[in-house]
Amino acid sequence: MSRRAPRGNLESHRTESMHELSIALSLVDAVCEELPRLGEKVSIRRVLLRIGPLAGVSADALACAFEIASSDSPIAGARLEIEQADGRALEIAALKVVDAAADC
Amino acid sequence: MLPRIVEVRKNVLKKNDLAAAALRDRFRAAGVCVVSVVSSPGSGKTAFLETTLALMRSRYRTAALVGDLATECDAERLRRSGAPVRQITTGTVCHLDAEMIERALDGRALADLDCLFIENGGNLVCPASYGPGEQLRVVLLSVTEGEDKPLKYPTIFNSADIAVVTKIDLAEAVGFDHAALLRNIERVRPGMPVLPVSSRTTYGFSSWMALIARRIGDAQPEPTPVHIDG
Repeated sequence: MSRRAPRGNLESHRTESMHELSIALSLVDAVCEELPRLGEKVSIRRVLLRIGPLAGVSADALACAFEIASSDSPIAGARLEIEQADGRALEIAALKVVDAAADC
Repeated sequence: MLPRIVEVRKNVLKKNDLAAAALRDRFRAAGVCVVSVVSSPGSGKTAFLETTLALMRSRYRTAALVGDLATECDAERLRRSGAPVRQITTGTVCHLDAEMIERALDGRALADLDCLFIENGGNLVCPASYGPGEQLRVVLLSVTEGEDKPLKYPTIFNSADIAVVTKIDLAEAVGFDHAALLRNIERVRPGMPVLPVSSRTTYGFSSWMALIARRIGDAQPEPTPVHIDG
């Protein structure tokens, strides 16, 4: 039961991508909020996200939107990894982080 | 240093959920019944609200918030009912979220209202994720859209409390199959109440008004006990 808009239906395709972009912006905000408790100089390598079939989010569109949404943020460069979950789940399960000092 | 995995377990939409919860508390404290209306573009949300506001005018204090990407068109139509209406232009954002509602309500005395309607911008995808703190969510679909809409957009039908079938006066002309629609709704949301209406002829609005009246009654705050001295 895919919500993906058929080709040529620009209006609903736009709406859908905008939806995932909104979700992606919320996701980036939610990850950035975690930064202070992770330590001073930390860089996020990977975001592990769990999405349920009833969350109303397309994983492909979200992965694409995440790149755009995160590009100009403190978590730029982080990769999004999406895992199937149950129900309406739309949660950040875990973050893979490295202490930035180690990169120097 | 090796990368480490930090367990987070955090809802991505927590911020909106918290803002929505705060709004819900505010609505409850003010005793106002808040109804949101969602649908795809052209399903007749504005016409439905026009008729609703006109019918409620003599008995209830109502107001409406209207969300759209651009223009004040819908707000102007609804203002003709005499109810206070505020337009929220969302720009490129496709939905109304709790924070936008909060900003739009700024300074409005909610306790003066019996019922507040929120018309969400036309789309069946986003409002399912970003709830604005309403007590009743109505999903509209018109007979001209086809009976398979619930199967195509299950998320919004799952998150709504009632389905209103609009433009029922056109049902015959477009060969609308009511039984098929009911079957499809039952498949994605068993037990969902379905209400056929025509905003033009007011067909079905007596049931809708009765439902709203019950909800307004439920929303009234508990009466504060009166202490009598002596």
